[in-house]
Amino acid sequence: MKFGLFFELSTPRPFSTENQRMVYENAIEQTVLADELGFASAWCVEHHFLEEYSHSSCPDMFLAALARETQHIRLGFGIGTCVPAMHSPIRWAEKAAFLDMLSNGRVEFGTGRSSTWNELGGFEANVDETKRTWDEFCRVIPKMWTEERFSHQGTYFSMPERCILPKPVQEPHPPLWVAVTAPGTELDAADRGMGAIILSIADVERVTPRIAEYRQRIASCEPVGAFVNNQVAIANWMFCHEDSEYATEKGHELISTFGYMAGQTVEVSEAYPANNYTALGLLGSLRPDPNAPEEGKKPPASGLCFGDPAHLVETIKRWEAAGVDQIIFMLQAREHLPQEQVLSSLRLFAQDVMPHFRDTNSVNVGLSA
Amino acid sequence: MTKAELLYGRRPVQDFADPLSELDLKVSENIALDDVEIFYSLFEVPMARTLQVLPRALHPSVPAVLGTTFWRVRSSPFGAFTISYVGPACRTGIKPRHMVTAAWCDNDAAGAYLSAAYGFNFRYADLHCRETYDRVHGEVVVDGRSILEIITTDCVPLVGAGGTVKYSPTLNLTRLDGRLVFAQFEAGYTFKRVLRGVVQAKIFDPVETGDVELVPNYPISGTYAICDVQLMPARFAADPEIPAEDRGSIKLVR
Repeated sequence: MKFGLFFELSTPRPFSTENQRMVYENAIEQTVLADELGFASAWCVEHHFLEEYSHSSCPDMFLAALARETQHIRLGFGIGTCVPAMHSPIRWAEKAAFLDMLSNGRVEFGTGRSSTWNELGGFEANVDETKRTWDEFCRVIPKMWTEERFSHQGTYFSMPERCILPKPVQEPHPPLWVAVTAPGTELDAADRGMGAIILSIADVERVTPRIAEYRQRIASCEPVGAFVNNQVAIANWMFCHEDSEYATEKGHELISTFGYMAGQTVEVSEAYPANNYTALGLLGSLRPDPNAPEEGKKPPASGLCFGDPAHLVETIKRWEAAGVDQIIFMLQAREHLPQEQVLSSLRLFAQDVMPHFRDTNSVNVGLSA
Repeated sequence: MTKAELLYGRRPVQDFADPLSELDLKVSENIALDDVEIFYSLFEVPMARTLQVLPRALHPSVPAVLGTTFWRVRSSPFGAFTISYVGPACRTGIKPRHMVTAAWCDNDAAGAYLSAAYGFNFRYADLHCRETYDRVHGEVVVDGRSILEIITTDCVPLVGAGGTVKYSPTLNLTRLDGRLVFAQFEAGYTFKRVLRGVVQAKIFDPVETGDVELVPNYPISGTYAICDVQLMPARFAADPEIPAEDRGSIKLVR
């Protein structure tokens, strides 16, 4: 089991320069500490126009800053949006390779297609085609990294022969991942030989069969890259404190804050019904219903990492038994917790939880064949 | 979270028109409506105007969105009827809702029932909602003047798990025991057929539709569905001044 950090870079109103800098600087400080403590990875989302929820429009720049401030921790695009209205695949290949160069081979490349009308509508993207454009991006980007010169005549992207520069440090290329929000996308990842980043925070019991099916399916995959990245990472919340009751209380405040921010956005499935967006994604999965009758209220997910070290060890063992390779922790929501508490939580986790998993906690998370 | 940090509507409750309806909690039965045609459209709207329209208890969606809805009911305990309503998307706490700023009905008995049960403030209008070979058309005509006309063209069928539409419950300003509340209108839907197409607002009278504004350049989607509908008694209301997260949600007890 390996551990990472997951940054949304959510930002409290008012949107002042001071608040914005505080969010970015705090996240960098958390990552520097995590690097020293032996965490394996730091992932940064790409989101646009998501007020408060995520002010992370340029993950490549954030990760570049981390690259120069850290030594070992791997740097994940969590994810790069594979929608032509937002990016060319050429630019993703260039940015990831450039970051791989700056970080001396520490890039993990996550892919996805967005699930909000805020973003897809804001860029006037063709919502009906995002799954197909994602598929084409996933197939051409590794070739841009591995082929000296690349050309492509495709459905959603074409280019004449060019040498795409720089090439990444990692041989043959950075590991490829897919963000999984809707159930079933993990199978799309498996079929393509890509790692699955399961972003819908759920019960261990509900995720376990999905991981088993992913493992079965990837055994017969046709990889889009030069190697199979047979890895399952899961996003989770974490707040570790000696007082388990306090940690749980603060943890649920984080979820409530996150849920509030997510609730204000407009999901694709709310605005633009489509055959390729049939489920609420990460945002929806975290919305408890304040109006639901008491007996109908959703209980907290069983695998949340809020508590004292002993509780977290027990919880993570269950994730490990479910087949998860890496847990990527969200630590903060709109700076709800004081920065010192977040840093203390990381230190306590590293001191009293990580040693129970130390044997497998190498930083080279992606390169399994 | 403190209120200063959040994005709420800014309209004082005294600026709302006095509601025409009074919520009647004695309405407690379900009503099944078969093969209801629902023509639902969404448009992007300016945030500043939406904040002026919404009360202090409601959050706008981000981005600000306006919905127009037509229901054509061919058979009901009140006979055939059509309703239409307009309003901005909003949130009570974290739940997606639409606050109704204007509503119309062409059947007095149906209108009276829906007003008592769910707090709609209907005005009488001639309403048109139909699917033709190349479009879906909805229109509201008041005193011979068209004040709202929406068309959706280039329709494609939505199938399987995608063949559903998420209709946010509406919030209708009404009175409950003399107190102003937003009654929540919700229903269960069993979809039989769903189309989605390119929506266009041909006519949109901002005054008649409740001082809302529509950006013609940024329509989002128009959907036309045929579905069986279960109308259920209203379960919740919302205080117009107190957000849901501050216990502004009211559970209706019969």
